[in-house]
Amino acid sequence: MNNKKIITIILGFGIVSLFVVYKIYNKPHVNVSDVKSDIIITADKIIDDFSSDEMKANKSYLDKIIKISGVISELKVVKQKGIITLKTNHDFGSVLCHLSDKATRKMNSLKEEQTITLKGICTGFLLDVILVNCEITY
Amino acid sequence: MKIIHTILMCFLFVNVSNSQERFLTKNGAITFFSSTIMADIKADNNQVLSIIDASNGKMAISILMKSFMFKKALMQEHFNENYVESDLFPKATFKGEILNFETLKDLETKLEVRGLIMIHGKRKEIIIPASFTRSENTIFVKGEFNLLLSDYNIKIPNVVAKKISKEIKVSFEFNHKPYKK
Repeated sequence: MNNKKIITIILGFGIVSLFVVYKIYNKPHVNVSDVKSDIIITADKIIDDFSSDEMKANKSYLDKIIKISGVISELKVVKQKGIITLKTNHDFGSVLCHLSDKATRKMNSLKEEQTITLKGICTGFLLDVILVNCEITY
Repeated sequence: MKIIHTILMCFLFVNVSNSQERFLTKNGAITFFSSTIMADIKADNNQVLSIIDASNGKMAISILMKSFMFKKALMQEHFNENYVESDLFPKATFKGEILNFETLKDLETKLEVRGLIMIHGKRKEIIIPASFTRSENTIFVKGEFNLLLSDYNIKIPNVVAKKISKEIKVSFEFNHKPYKK
């Protein structure tokens, strides 16, 4: 009787830990649309911050969920993924927002010169500030 | 990082009068594969910046490590936090020269690119074969090569060593357009 109990406990424990490991291993990507944004900012401000001190900007913005607003300068689709370029007051360099699949489908309703708000994850600064997995939030 | 950025900027704007000569893409694609018996792992980056100076065949590429997207969130986390340490080394770069660039015509041509690659803060000289196609408005570059993790001081813990190949296959595809602003 006692032996049986011990075996049941061990088995139960084993099953639970397997389940937990499986859950951690398959943990989903952050769903940008469901998560509250860490930072709310304009396209002009974020490019200012990155051009004046990239190291510092990396610390404040990388991996963060950012709600960004600006005016659309270009809309395009590359390999079925939408890319929205936001204007900035810098001569070179803008904000490139790479859209999620869901947001790409909503792109038809957008026009150049329109003001827009997007939510995405910042991955860094090359010539432009880059945001990925963007959702359109208006 | 500032220096790399300055170099890239110089690359682009030193010779503005000659701007027709510069070709660039801001959404180049790089994919890497690690294949072992235990697991196949793949990650895509579609935000690669690549610039070609058509007057002398020089090429510069800049890659954000955090832009690599994995199927599993946990793998992406481990990649960034433990293996390439992307907080310390947010970018990978390549700077080099396309050999025999002047022979490139509108037909697909196999050429070699020689230069310095920098990943995880480690620099290494490398020769990458690639196929080039040039038309009036594009320079299309495509190819693949292998990297050894040990060359870039990327350490994989023993627990997962069987799941991650020591040699990583990298494939790339850049569709450069003339730069205008």
